[in-house]
Amino acid sequence: MAPLTPYTYFQCPCSDPSTQARPGDATGADEVEDDERTFDPRAPRSNYSLYPLEYLLFCEDCQQIRCPRCVAEEIVTFYCPCCLFEVPSSNIKSEGNRCTRSCFQCPICVGPLSVASHESQSDPNLLPAPDNAAPPPHAGSFILTCSYCHWSSTEVDIKFDKANGIHAQLAKIRNGGATRLTAKERKERRKDLLHAGSASAAAAVAPRPEETPVDGQDLDLETQFSNLKFFYQSQLIDATSGNSGLTSLSDLGFSSPTSLSRIMNIYTGGSLHDKKSKSRVGTMREALDSDEGLKLADLDESGAIEKLQEEGYDGTISTKQRLSQPPHLGELHLHGNSRFTSQLRPIPYLLRTKRAKRCPLCRHIISKPEAKVATTRFRIRLVAGNYVPSISIRPLNMPSASSPALSPPQDTLQPLKPVQFLLTFKNPIFEPVKITLATPARTPGRFASKVTVLCPQFEIDANTDVWDEALMKDGDKDNRKRRKASADENGQYQAEAGKIWERGRNWVSIVVEVVPASLRLDTLAITSPAAAEGEAIDTGPIREDEDVLEIPMFVRVEWEADTAGDDIGSALNKEKDGKEKRELAYWCVLGLGRVGQP
Amino acid sequence: MSLPHRSVANIRSPAAGGHHHSGGSGPSTPVRPLTSSFASPSSLRAEEDLLVIEFGIRKVQVGFAGDATPRGTEWFGPEEQRRVGDFRAWRPDYHRNWKHAASGKPWGRDHELWQADVRGQDLGLVSDKIERALRDAFTRYLLIDSRPRKMVCVLPSGLPVPLLSTALDGLFNRFQAPTVSLLSSSIAVAVAAGVRSALVVDLGWTETVVTSVYEYREVHCSRTIRGGRMLVEQTHKLLAKQLDPTKKEPDAGDDSHKGQEYALSFEECDEVTNRLVWCKPCHAAPISRDTAEGLPTVQEQDESESRGHAFSRKTSTAKISLKSTSRPVTLDLPYDLLTEPCENTFFDSRYSPSTFDDHELPVHLLVYRSLLQLPMDVRANCMSRIIFTGSCANVLGLRGRIFDEVSRIVRERGWDPVQGKAAEQTRSNPKLKRGTRQGISSPTGVTPQPGGGQEQDGVWHDAANTTPEIDPYEEKLKKGSNKKPPPVQGEMRALESLGAWSGASLISYLKTPAIATIDRDHWLQHGAAGASKASDVDPKTQQRQSLGAGGLMRGASAASWTLGVWGAH
Repeated sequence: MAPLTPYTYFQCPCSDPSTQARPGDATGADEVEDDERTFDPRAPRSNYSLYPLEYLLFCEDCQQIRCPRCVAEEIVTFYCPCCLFEVPSSNIKSEGNRCTRSCFQCPICVGPLSVASHESQSDPNLLPAPDNAAPPPHAGSFILTCSYCHWSSTEVDIKFDKANGIHAQLAKIRNGGATRLTAKERKERRKDLLHAGSASAAAAVAPRPEETPVDGQDLDLETQFSNLKFFYQSQLIDATSGNSGLTSLSDLGFSSPTSLSRIMNIYTGGSLHDKKSKSRVGTMREALDSDEGLKLADLDESGAIEKLQEEGYDGTISTKQRLSQPPHLGELHLHGNSRFTSQLRPIPYLLRTKRAKRCPLCRHIISKPEAKVATTRFRIRLVAGNYVPSISIRPLNMPSASSPALSPPQDTLQPLKPVQFLLTFKNPIFEPVKITLATPARTPGRFASKVTVLCPQFEIDANTDVWDEALMKDGDKDNRKRRKASADENGQYQAEAGKIWERGRNWVSIVVEVVPASLRLDTLAITSPAAAEGEAIDTGPIREDEDVLEIPMFVRVEWEADTAGDDIGSALNKEKDGKEKRELAYWCVLGLGRVGQP
Repeated sequence: MSLPHRSVANIRSPAAGGHHHSGGSGPSTPVRPLTSSFASPSSLRAEEDLLVIEFGIRKVQVGFAGDATPRGTEWFGPEEQRRVGDFRAWRPDYHRNWKHAASGKPWGRDHELWQADVRGQDLGLVSDKIERALRDAFTRYLLIDSRPRKMVCVLPSGLPVPLLSTALDGLFNRFQAPTVSLLSSSIAVAVAAGVRSALVVDLGWTETVVTSVYEYREVHCSRTIRGGRMLVEQTHKLLAKQLDPTKKEPDAGDDSHKGQEYALSFEECDEVTNRLVWCKPCHAAPISRDTAEGLPTVQEQDESESRGHAFSRKTSTAKISLKSTSRPVTLDLPYDLLTEPCENTFFDSRYSPSTFDDHELPVHLLVYRSLLQLPMDVRANCMSRIIFTGSCANVLGLRGRIFDEVSRIVRERGWDPVQGKAAEQTRSNPKLKRGTRQGISSPTGVTPQPGGGQEQDGVWHDAANTTPEIDPYEEKLKKGSNKKPPPVQGEMRALESLGAWSGASLISYLKTPAIATIDRDHWLQHGAAGASKASDVDPKTQQRQSLGAGGLMRGASAASWTLGVWGAH
């Protein structure tokens, strides 16, 4: 088991259930005891509301913590993480969310793929002409290779003509080397077909020329979709044009004849309208052939089954690899897709974004990165760490001579043996703050440990200049540095209730005493608080992370801020002395360590 | 390079130029299906994009309307439920202790977003999961900001209202969607296959749902618990038996009982299921699907034998290395054994059909029964438009097997709901036949009944085998309409669909108004309780509202709205 370093998590106040309930919604009996309810870090929901301090932002105007769930985001730049090329936002719409240059990930190990030239001697067709000093550029002279796992695109029989523009080339090649039509080519072809069709329609009676379906059953995903789309569109037009229905509202262009007839219909009563709408019923039919997107299912999968038996477990791709495969539009078979390693395709890199974040309430920007892709700087970044006191935890080891030999390894806590931890609160702001802590006496969950905060209320000095401390007078310094760390008869420092352990320029350490619960399931019936209330006890085996001692702690920070001038909103109701009381309250979770298992 | 907001219009209506050639009557302006051309230019901006979200039990798929496939898929797994900043999965020494993690919950349940049984379910947790998955998908795959966008949800029509309400709450509160439209997934599947009627066999995760769609309406729906979860459990049973043959196997009947000891992790079992499990072809009465019934039996036999050979010839084994067992182990499994889970899950042919309860009918029986319960016209349409969808449709050979089994039943029994010895006797008794046949089988049978064999005597004729009179009007109508062949009816046929997501994408792209379109304000005020019944809402008003995009008729917007099929209390 990995050793556990003590950690702190903060809960963003936006996750408070009371702020989310809709007034009209009766949520039942939970609401009654909402106030007394302590936060349970082990509840499955708390995983979604807890954040390390580094993930949190802070809105100066609302004086509130903002977590990733409660900010409004705006996109500054789209870029490819591989080539760091900035992508205009219009391309995102048209060309998708992946890099359309030559950036690919390996489908096996997700490492980056690089373009390499393919040795021509491996190609038997080219052997007869070795005397050419410079081999002419021929089809398939470049491949993609992974330098980590040595996968190369030859394994799926894909080779490229050119070393650049791989994405466009790949779109035209199916696995195995067969080519396919891209969306654009198909559109062109359809246009040709349509023009031919309308020409012949003008000439002959036949509205649609019966052309040989080129693809037949060979519909891939993209083709089927576009065929269907086209089919439905033409059906809708057939249904709309010539009469007015409600559907014709959508082409309410003022010059449109249908809108005129619609208006006519409105004012001349329904007789004409009714007749036409009756005739419209059933005009929309279903797709009948593959040109219209109908595809009969090929249910005979014995080929794939045989292949499965030949290739075995290792010939199939793992779930992880399958999930990282982008939806391949050129896929021939919809079902059983991406099953074998020979069906893998290089993964174009997903594009990424740089995002600016706003407070959802006051719309002030709280984080804004530089627009240039290569820089990591931020123009504005109001991280919560600059506003909220940070908490660090370390075990308080009594400096006694005898204990080192006896003390257990640091990362496990002995059950039922009191341990003391030192919590150090560091004040990042320039005003002294008053902190009030509250913890439940017993941690929630099946294994209730006892928690005592020895000093739940204290003040931390302002985050002043570092020099202030150095220039301070000696006596003053001593007084502040270690307050009441009185030595007892053994020369040990003893933690006292109600007293601060140690204090510095902008930090204060206090002591928390914990009696870790025993993780024995057989004694659970006696120890668990649920048993005392006569509830059913869950005696299932210990779950993941249930052995970690986590303390929920409610932190309330109060300070007096200078309101003079910095923001207009608060300046209006400014108090006389220019000071304003502010407070911030939130739940924290302190992870202290793993409790040793019996 | 033109300005982005200008070029969007060009992108989103690709075929706009060519429409009016397609044979409309009279002059008309081309319809631009997506962009509402009469609204103010600001509506051309990119945020008019419709988002299409398909909720499944194990995954959620998101993308833009008009795309062929979703842009991103998010799965619900235990690793996705960790705290932010918990990077233990990336540590080299990390391996998940699945026995600890999974205990307390049924095996593999933490891979599911929700359960259809909402009793005791933490709806808050469900909404958290939805929110995280959607936020992640929006950021990673759609690359969109958090401006409000209209959304379309594709949901199975059997979704309980509390879950629906939770999902909608999330969309309205966390993502500020101005409107959310609801689409039923089975109808979307039918649309994505290009048909108006279909029998959608959704081989899903928790259950298999057979929905008959007729003229874009769900007319009948039946379900069985035989789905992906059961398949994985059966695979586990197979693997566990191989791992420890001495252990007494629990009775075949209670597959998912609680105290069962699991020998390997759900993830690994799921993986083996996805990679190796396949389905044997139909053995009992092998026919090739495309050949007619009249083929000589001898040839059929041959084909089946050669097929059987193809599978039995290789008695090779699959090497599966398992890591989550108590110690890592490599299993050698013959491929034939790997058909067992599929066999037991979907067909269970060891037992007679009468032993199954209503909720656990084998899939082929379920398909047959749902077809049987349909009215004749509907059945004629549906049976030739069978669509297999859902994750288990990817099991090799399963679709073909179900199709063959159903065809076999149809061939043996016809469409006679009455079966059994007495019915058989009645049918074979020539004395009774004349009287009853006209009464019973002509309303039920679509095709001439092949199973009975009574036509061979040639004594009498019924409506089924008389040559139809030529109706001059019908002929004229046929000629008048476009010269397409009449729709296929009455024969078994399976179609390929692009899937529910793509269907919804098509529907939204074509601006077809959904029956259930929920306004954010209405929802925030009333929640699910404010919905009226689907029949109470005037679809015309709804239509007008959604067609007049951009607030043309906003002021007159009806106060009544509906949840469609989901709101039926």
